[in-house]
Amino acid sequence: MKIPWKKYDCLLIVAGFLLLLPFLKIQRTTDFIIFCVFVLSYDLLYGYMGRLSFGPMLFLGAGAYAVTLFSEHLSPNPFLALSFAVVAAAAVGALIGPIIVRTTGAAFALINLAFNQIGHFLVLIAFAKYTGGEDGMSAHFSKVGFFDVQDRTMIFVFSLFCLVLAFYLLKRLTSSPFGILLRTIKENETRARFLGYDTFLYKWGAFVISGGLAGFAGALSIMNYGYVTPSFIDPHRNVEVIFAVLIGGAGNLYGAIIGGVAYMVVSNYLATYIARWEMFLGIGLLLLVFRFRTGVWGAVTGLLASRRGEAETR
Amino acid sequence: MPESAILETRGVSKKFDGFVAVSGVSYRLSEGEAAGIIGPNGAGKTTFFNLLTGMFPPTEGTVLFRGEDITRCPAHERVGRGVIRTFQLVSVFDQLSVRENLVLSVVRPGDGRNRKRGFFFSDAARPEISDACGEALALVGLEGKASRATSSLSYGDKRKLEIALALSLRPAVLLLDEPFAGLSDAEIGEVLELVHRVKASFSLVIIEHKISRIVDLVSRLSVMHEGKLIAEGDPKKVIEEPLVRQVYWGRA
Ligand SMILES: Nc1ncnc2c1ncn2[C@@H]1O[C@H](COP(=O)(O)OP(=O)(O)O)[C@@H](O)[C@H]1O
Ligand SMILES: [Mg+2]
Repeated sequence: MKIPWKKYDCLLIVAGFLLLLPFLKIQRTTDFIIFCVFVLSYDLLYGYMGRLSFGPMLFLGAGAYAVTLFSEHLSPNPFLALSFAVVAAAAVGALIGPIIVRTTGAAFALINLAFNQIGHFLVLIAFAKYTGGEDGMSAHFSKVGFFDVQDRTMIFVFSLFCLVLAFYLLKRLTSSPFGILLRTIKENETRARFLGYDTFLYKWGAFVISGGLAGFAGALSIMNYGYVTPSFIDPHRNVEVIFAVLIGGAGNLYGAIIGGVAYMVVSNYLATYIARWEMFLGIGLLLLVFRFRTGVWGAVTGLLASRRGEAETR
Repeated sequence: MPESAILETRGVSKKFDGFVAVSGVSYRLSEGEAAGIIGPNGAGKTTFFNLLTGMFPPTEGTVLFRGEDITRCPAHERVGRGVIRTFQLVSVFDQLSVRENLVLSVVRPGDGRNRKRGFFFSDAARPEISDACGEALALVGLEGKASRATSSLSYGDKRKLEIALALSLRPAVLLLDEPFAGLSDAEIGEVLELVHRVKASFSLVIIEHKISRIVDLVSRLSVMHEGKLIAEGDPKKVIEEPLVRQVYWGRA
């Protein structure tokens, strides 16, 4: 176990998704990749900062609608639209963050859900004229040089690049002093304040980063599918990303990706073999919460550590 | 005023739902002074520290730091000015490694060191930070346990870690809330020796239950009872005062 594989983790992620290709349609694989970006954004908030949210779909949706509306009304350039979507989703986070990050526990989870429901209502009904309401709307992107969103391989490669980029940035962020600060906020926020940190600002910052990254995932999804519907902001779908983080193991970026893929495999394929698969997922979740709190990743590293007879710090 | 005060309160009170935990306390700590506060359980000592450090605002009264009103100043800003505390129940981060516990205090915000050392995007385990953490740990004799999980430390070692944390924040005034509570006699000796060794570089207030332990450490002792300061002065004299004897031992 002395192979410094963590140095090559970005390559491992790429290799992993390439290995999935023979088994899945390429568009589906791209979907998996994008979902992993979403899971990473959620892991920052929940796994690292310890704030459970029931409303991350709001940010996915903000990015999804922002990219579509931008491409329709301002410019069909996919890169501009994607950048705009990230900024828009981050801006939503910046706007509602000060209200949300003051709270913890159930209040934090539920206020997020409430804002998600407001967002869902806005695109479904209040602004239906612009968003296409229940029907949604399609997005049209122009070619930029050789980059063509319509090309399935191209969007696969691009999404994979984006996942690796997001992973790399989050890895830097979470292993920095800021990452440690987020973990102290998770464990004992008051104590962190007594180390001289205005925790409110940093929580707000993390909330904005998480929101922007979720919006990034939402925008990528639209580039993959070509249209947006209210299902991209549907509060009922919040459970997906929460499950994924719990499966992989919260507070670990490798876990987030493993959990993202595992959830996608289960939700896409278990459904075809087992009727009422959600029930089994529910049982699985109960097991995770009560028996394997550290998820797949934690279970594996824990096992390896005990094999080596070492106490791991994390 | 004779010497300048680093920390001062004027008539501070704290009420919890009508219950008065601290009542009209006026207190003064001179620059460089080492002072002690004693008093029975529930006297309001910890609450008084909470008022000094900004855990919550007082119901009445003002808190001054070097003559400046800091009554409404949030806790993190007071830390920035050098008002550093430890907690009665040791408070360190069990989920971090011993070394990681110190990272945030060696890269403090507002130091200018923050930007230079890359707060957001550079590795918290890189040598400059790691070395600074190591130095802080060496001060309390924990350098050999830097990579350990904090949850695996003994209570005494956690206390030392917390003191290392406080010292690495470079206190102007250090407030220790019952630092010996829960420690073995050997550990108490070590922590006492440590405090003796470092106390020259800052002002110190120490809350302690057992008077004998701090008589040699502090030059002034205050006695708290039912939220009020009931006596103050030279440690050896204060403990002879009838009122103090009555509160402490139930006899004059
Ligand atoms: N946050 C709080 N809410 C309500 N009551 C409190 C709170 N903090 C302290 N008290 C009460 O104030 C009194 C003084 O407590 P404390 O300051 O901890 O005393 P000491 O440190 O001298 O033992 C106690 O009766 C305690 O129950
Ligand atoms: Mg106390």
